[in-house]
Amino acid sequence: MTLFWALVSWAVMLPVLPIVYSLQKNECRPKKNLIAGVTLPYEAQEDGEVHALLEQYRKELKAVCLGMLAAVIPSLLFKSVGLFLTYYILWAIALAAVFLIPYIRCNRSLQKLKVERGWRQSRETPQVVTDLKAAAEEMRRPSLWWFLPPFLLSLVPLLFDRSIWGIWVLDAALVPVFYLCCRYLYRNRAEVVDEDSGRTLALTRIRRYNWSKCWITLAWATGLFNLGLWLTLEHIWLCMAVILAYGFTGCITVIRIEFRVRRLQEKLTADSGRGYYVDGDDHWIWGMIYYNPNDTRLTVNARVGVGSSLNMARRPAQIIMGLLLAVLLACPLCGVWMLGMERAPVELEITDTELTGSHFGRHWSVALADVAEIEVIETLPRLSRIMGTGMETACTGQFSSSQWGRVTLCIDPRVGPWLLVKQNDGELFLFGASEEGRTAETAAKLR
Amino acid sequence: MLLRLDFHSDVPIYQQIRNQVVAAIASGELKPGERLPTVRALAEEAGINMMTASKAYQLLKAEGYAATGRREGAVVHLPEGGANPETLEGLRLRICELRLAGMGKEEILALCGKIFDGEACGK
Repeated sequence: MTLFWALVSWAVMLPVLPIVYSLQKNECRPKKNLIAGVTLPYEAQEDGEVHALLEQYRKELKAVCLGMLAAVIPSLLFKSVGLFLTYYILWAIALAAVFLIPYIRCNRSLQKLKVERGWRQSRETPQVVTDLKAAAEEMRRPSLWWFLPPFLLSLVPLLFDRSIWGIWVLDAALVPVFYLCCRYLYRNRAEVVDEDSGRTLALTRIRRYNWSKCWITLAWATGLFNLGLWLTLEHIWLCMAVILAYGFTGCITVIRIEFRVRRLQEKLTADSGRGYYVDGDDHWIWGMIYYNPNDTRLTVNARVGVGSSLNMARRPAQIIMGLLLAVLLACPLCGVWMLGMERAPVELEITDTELTGSHFGRHWSVALADVAEIEVIETLPRLSRIMGTGMETACTGQFSSSQWGRVTLCIDPRVGPWLLVKQNDGELFLFGASEEGRTAETAAKLR
Repeated sequence: MLLRLDFHSDVPIYQQIRNQVVAAIASGELKPGERLPTVRALAEEAGINMMTASKAYQLLKAEGYAATGRREGAVVHLPEGGANPETLEGLRLRICELRLAGMGKEEILALCGKIFDGEACGK
């Protein structure tokens, strides 16, 4: 693993750190009568003890942020890609977890203070509050026509290039997924804060509009991305630029919308909480996990911002969350698998009927009857990966070069020479074993 | 108008909806002709079963507090023909209970006046 690629990898990941930090810090700003996930009256905004708790929370967030930044440094010393990847993924998982610690601490302290100050709404059992006027307003769902053009656009490459059809289909499938998310992950529920129906309606419309806008933008970005990827596939830097632009557009869209909605929620509810206000804290564990056995629905709108959450009192939500956690915790295994790949040698074998290159359980074979010509290559040309593995110890899968065009690789790039095999149908294969002399020996046998 | 549903109460949810809508009509919070949410929207909003929301609307319609409009779905409606015998019987029973609880005529009338003026209506 070169320092350059390590820095590039961190350049992609590190912007997540200030984003998460800003989102968490934003929880200190009162919106919808919520501060750090606790419903508080207007007077609490001026309370000295609340201010002290929030100041402590901000300090802890800063410490976590600096700690995570310092944790990047050891990874720059790793030589192994597998080790780097394992550390990289563990860092990303830790990032999601460690920021929750100060949040939960602050939430619990504020809850305690709320009881002490008598800010808790006086009732014995939790209530569900519904604004009939807001509920009566018909929700206009985004039309399918917004998603159809980007879907068709994303299928265009499939008409011209079927060699990597899996990538095109996978990318195109994202558009209908976005449509389904837009339609079914949104909980059609009014944003009731207090008795002011006008405020409730405004907050609800803001959320609905931005929710649809977010998914439609992502769908169009995906359609254009597929098209851009296809057009720039042979030009590595342009291709990288398209991938970066797609990632950038997606992230910026979601972050901008989230912060815009939060800002509007803050502005619209700035003077709420003086009289009656809705307190739903009983249904939110630590202010962030929705648990309401009386709610028959699986999803619920996030308390602030534009997102959605799951009702953890429902069995399907528990299963979904369990699966997500299992996937998340299994992610570091990718790094371990990469370590295995890195250490596995590339093997080359010739029988009476075929030539086979193998690496880490995968095989690439050419029937000897199909071989049109062979060439021994002393120096590798510049190769760019389309699909497969590209490590210092092994390169396998589909690559392209300006000299040869598309070529299937199964080589150890450290050990030359390499054997270029052209099939009768014009398809090219480049083989090269990790064992010294093995490739030359195979070439001699082939001749 | 805010609907406050208590899932731990002995009063069924559909009855709570019916009672609060009636109280809101009486206090003027809901006006005749005002649109009510659809059964689906109400169920989604409150997180209740569609059957429960439907039952509440059926009750409101049967008692004349809601009517089905041609275009706008269910709307608020004022019942015609005065109080029904069941309501009067219920009131008689409640007054008896208050008398047994030790309240005098004047006290009961004052309390009814307060309720009528909206001080305790639906709250």
